[in-house]
Amino acid sequence: MSERVLLHVGTPKTGTSYLQDVLFRNRVKLLASGITYPAERFDAHFLAALDLMKMPWGGLQAEAIGAWDELAAAVRKAPGTSIISHEILATASRSQVKRALESVGYGAGTEVHVILSVRDLVRQIPAEWQENVKHRAGLSYQDFLKRIQDPERASRIGSWFWGVQEIPDILNRWGHDLPPDHVHLVTVPPPGAPDLLWKRFSTAFGLDGLDLDLEAERVNPSLGVPEIALIRRINRRANKDLHPPDYRPLVRELLAHQTLSRRTSSPRLALPPDVHPWVQQLSESWVAEIRRRGYDVVGELDDLIGGPAVAASDYADPDRPAERQVADAAVDAIKALLLDNARLRREEERLHGELHEAHLALERSYLRPTYRLREKVVRRLERSLAGKGVLKVYRAARGRSSLSA
Amino acid sequence: MNADRGATTDISRSSTANTAAAWLWVDHLRGGGTTPWAAWLAAARDADDPRRGDRLLPGAQQLELVRRLNEAGRPAAALVERVLVASAPGRGRQDLELLGAVEPLAFGPPPIDPATLSADDLVRVAVGLIAEDVVGAGDPPREPVKARRWRTRYRIAGDRWLADAMRTELVAQGRPPGGRGAVAAVVGTDLATMVAHDWLASCFSDGGADWTDYCAGMRRRDRLPRRVDLAATAGRWAPELGGPDQVRVVLDPARVAKVVGVRRLVVLPDVAADAAELARRTAGALGILVTPPRRTELMRTVLRPRLAGVPGPRPVVPPEHREWLEEQARLVQRGIRAGGYPVVGDLDALRPRWPDLPAHGLAADDRQPDRVLSLALSLLLDPATGGGVDP
Repeated sequence: MSERVLLHVGTPKTGTSYLQDVLFRNRVKLLASGITYPAERFDAHFLAALDLMKMPWGGLQAEAIGAWDELAAAVRKAPGTSIISHEILATASRSQVKRALESVGYGAGTEVHVILSVRDLVRQIPAEWQENVKHRAGLSYQDFLKRIQDPERASRIGSWFWGVQEIPDILNRWGHDLPPDHVHLVTVPPPGAPDLLWKRFSTAFGLDGLDLDLEAERVNPSLGVPEIALIRRINRRANKDLHPPDYRPLVRELLAHQTLSRRTSSPRLALPPDVHPWVQQLSESWVAEIRRRGYDVVGELDDLIGGPAVAASDYADPDRPAERQVADAAVDAIKALLLDNARLRREEERLHGELHEAHLALERSYLRPTYRLREKVVRRLERSLAGKGVLKVYRAARGRSSLSA
Repeated sequence: MNADRGATTDISRSSTANTAAAWLWVDHLRGGGTTPWAAWLAAARDADDPRRGDRLLPGAQQLELVRRLNEAGRPAAALVERVLVASAPGRGRQDLELLGAVEPLAFGPPPIDPATLSADDLVRVAVGLIAEDVVGAGDPPREPVKARRWRTRYRIAGDRWLADAMRTELVAQGRPPGGRGAVAAVVGTDLATMVAHDWLASCFSDGGADWTDYCAGMRRRDRLPRRVDLAATAGRWAPELGGPDQVRVVLDPARVAKVVGVRRLVVLPDVAADAAELARRTAGALGILVTPPRRTELMRTVLRPRLAGVPGPRPVVPPEHREWLEEQARLVQRGIRAGGYPVVGDLDALRPRWPDLPAHGLAADDRQPDRVLSLALSLLLDPATGGGVDP
């Protein structure tokens, strides 16, 4: 049985993909140090989270059936410390949290810690909208902001956003049973300190001193304003005709991640200046609340306040982007699609060649005299009733009949 | 956003008198009570219940669903307990706090008076439980049937609601499809019914879009669903089976039996639009519990028989698509004639029939969520699944 379980439950857009990638690729090294990261595939904990929360996710849920129980069983079996990490766990309901904690041994002698990595809303709000757009959403930035400001949170966007971003509420759900020193917040530092976040993760997860391969393979790059505006327009135009299994490789991976994210000189997406005061006031109330609760904070709580508002004159509105910049991004996107299409054409030609070779080989075998003789006999027999009878008897005697379905 | 809602409070540790009243309401509901929360709170505002300590109250959706179950029948104690801990599957609002049961919250979704929850909120919770019941029921026992040696070789295609059920019945009789010299029966009826059948079939397999979106999607693509276009279906089978003479377009479903060499074959009756909508929602929840092929099997063998007898009109194509559908019927007729496929029945039977229904007979009206909720409650209360009265 695990002595200690570290449950990293969010939040999205806080370097979680990088952390999970490092944990997955170093799981053998970690095991040698008494730390289990129980995963056979890089997205194992994502599937487990879908299963725990009974959440459909573009057909992936079929692969997730039973995944949480499997993960929990692996955790219970592992000695020492086990780590579970996925950011969508942040939105688990109270009864799902209860089930999760109990299934990993809480209340049965295992010390359970909840870790939440958190970033200021000034960066999280634009990042969440961008993530929505990269998942086929067509709603404008303004609509997104309106929905998350609806106090009822009746929309899917609003309920999801606050479910995974409202830090005090997430901690109410995940930490209400735990002593405050078993609840850890890892704050994402302001931009400009690339190694600091990993150091904080390392401290929170007890990885200091371990020689880990920190080269990132899975990253989730962000887009500039004209690029994300372009993806949104593509969504609106193509969504209804482009099936979800094609969307991910073509739009999200090829266009957004591999092509448009490389255009780093375009204006970056920011919080609109008029929304900034509301966000700042909210963030300050969160910081005061978290401070009052006495959780273990790795980093600076004030990091949650976020940076100052961008000047109105510098703000690039993705709902009214500079059309020249969007057109430029679109040309890059067309070029990427053309190159990919050319690659596929070469692949198609190669496969045609292989198929042609296979046909020729088949024809050569058909041309053998014995085959042609047998074919002639069968054709002749099939012309008469008596012949059909003979064939039937022959096939029955041979024990292989093509008559069945 | 919530900073102005009131004093900062950790909901899990709040201990107001109203929390005690809420716990007493939970007991009241467990005992079969039907008093709405607001009325209960007005009467028991200063109640004391020291037993509850730090425990978390069930969500407003769960409590209201229990109350509605109590109004609709006598739910078994086990069902009530399942409801109280059931989170709604999928995305949407999380379990909500009872308005007035806790201190005003500084964070989290706002508490709610359960009476103001929409039917849709309650159906979200209910379908998760129905899906569990469907999995728990499992398939009805079936003996493996050996294929008959002397049988007519056939294929059945076309209207998937009718054709799939006919094929299943034939297989159960030891008459699997296929074989040398098979004739394909391409089954159909009037185009409006076939479109409704196609949607019904998707409701009882993978869920998919609701009826309104389904019709809008068909229209946007400007193409009939694959299995509804009988000319295209016949066109796919003819070359495979040896030519148009090996295909029969059967436009009177009762006459399929003769084509496939049996005396009679059950023509699967339609399911009411509201029942299909509940099935569609349940299919979504079931997809999280079992694999897609298993889901289709359970939807057809377990849930469909339970919903088969629900009264009500079948889905009706909205008026804005009718002209388009009539034109499609003409195109299909032309395709069948051009293909030279023998037709069993009258080719004119393909023309859409428009039942003279009142407005509420259409599938997607404002009151449909209430009717779907009512159906969900009756399914949960079904004694056959253990949801009804305790033995």
